[in-house]
Amino acid sequence: MTEETENLFKAIFELEEIRELLRQTAPNHKFTDEQKKKLRSSIEIVRESLKKLEELL
Amino acid sequence: MSNIIQDIKLRDWEEEYININPLQTGGRTYPETRKAIISYIDGYSTCDWCKGALGITDKPPIREFLDEVSKFLGMDYTMLTNGCREAKFAVLHALTNPGDSVVIDGNKHYTTYVAAERARVRIYEVPSNGYPEYRIKPEDYVTVIENVKKETRLLPKLVFLTHVDGNYGNLVDAEKVAEICKEYNVPFLLNTAYSSGRMPVNGKKIGADFIACSGHKSWAAGGGNIGLLSVSEQWKDKAIEYSKKYKVKPIEIIGCSSRGSSTLALMASFPHVKERVKYWDKEVENSRWLMKELEAIGINQLGVKPTEHDLNFVESEKLFKISETHKKKHFYLYYELKDRGIVGIKAGLTKNFKFSTYGKTKEQIKHISWAFKDIVEKFAK
Repeated sequence: MTEETENLFKAIFELEEIRELLRQTAPNHKFTDEQKKKLRSSIEIVRESLKKLEELL
Repeated sequence: MSNIIQDIKLRDWEEEYININPLQTGGRTYPETRKAIISYIDGYSTCDWCKGALGITDKPPIREFLDEVSKFLGMDYTMLTNGCREAKFAVLHALTNPGDSVVIDGNKHYTTYVAAERARVRIYEVPSNGYPEYRIKPEDYVTVIENVKKETRLLPKLVFLTHVDGNYGNLVDAEKVAEICKEYNVPFLLNTAYSSGRMPVNGKKIGADFIACSGHKSWAAGGGNIGLLSVSEQWKDKAIEYSKKYKVKPIEIIGCSSRGSSTLALMASFPHVKERVKYWDKEVENSRWLMKELEAIGINQLGVKPTEHDLNFVESEKLFKISETHKKKHFYLYYELKDRGIVGIKAGLTKNFKFSTYGKTKEQIKHISWAFKDIVEKFAK
């Protein structure tokens, strides 16, 4: 698998993890400390993957 | 962003609301499920390494998965179907001829009845005891089987039981029905659309010959239709017959059933499903807690009490009376709940409706209780 495809799926999959956080906390989306930690980590992974994808430009 | 394309709206029910639609709570996906769906979304994605039939595919490991499902359900052989109804019809088609008789329960899903009609068989029903319990009594199967014998001079070719029905969430003692079927030497199919995948179900312990499952209703497999048919060794050859010309193709699923992402969704959810059935007691506890809270404000449970399932059917004169004065009339409950972050009760219903608490956190259960109380406090006179 090429790096770009791998990073594409990595970003999408990590967004699914964020989506799960929204689902678990609906309707108020009040996060616990643990959920906030997970959200931060997921956002970072998405950012890194997008950076790699930007290298295609 | 409210539309995906043209007039197809983005669906945000799971992210923005607590969804209590009983059809949907047990089929709600896990992140791994959605990742599998995203990756395998294109047509015939299960067939990259096709060995001639879906059930013997090793890449992805569908064969191994089906073996694991058989163990999980305490059965001997499992195949993928396009849904629970297709699993039921497959058995009907394999075991009966037009004009034969079958026995079904009064709380059956409509698809059991329609599948039997499609198989052109005579249908005999075991009635429930009616309002307010709608209980199916296993011993009534004896009466109905005897009636079939008397009227047709033959035994029924197949007996169905809806393990948990989709209206009242009544859980029937399947072992007792299985015992009766064994005494008459009649095959027994257990419809587990609302049980397997949510709660522990063991076919050997129960004594079931066939177990029909719904992947999208209770195995967290999401939107694509998918089901399972599990069979005991005794009935394997009769129910899983192969094509004479295309030797690896099971005829009752016309060779291969679900040839894409829904199969992978079911596989990806399976580790979660195996784990979650261990906590079924907690689900029942949550459901009972909520029912107690709602009954205190005039929303009363029908069906067998105390509830033994996450799905409950209620009646409420109090909620109905509000509709007579509320500006949104009988649609008020849907909108008032939605305003409080809850969806899933059919729009327009106020007096009788059903809902499910499956998979909800304690905070979400409390929120549901609060929402109903708030509506009653605000509008009931």
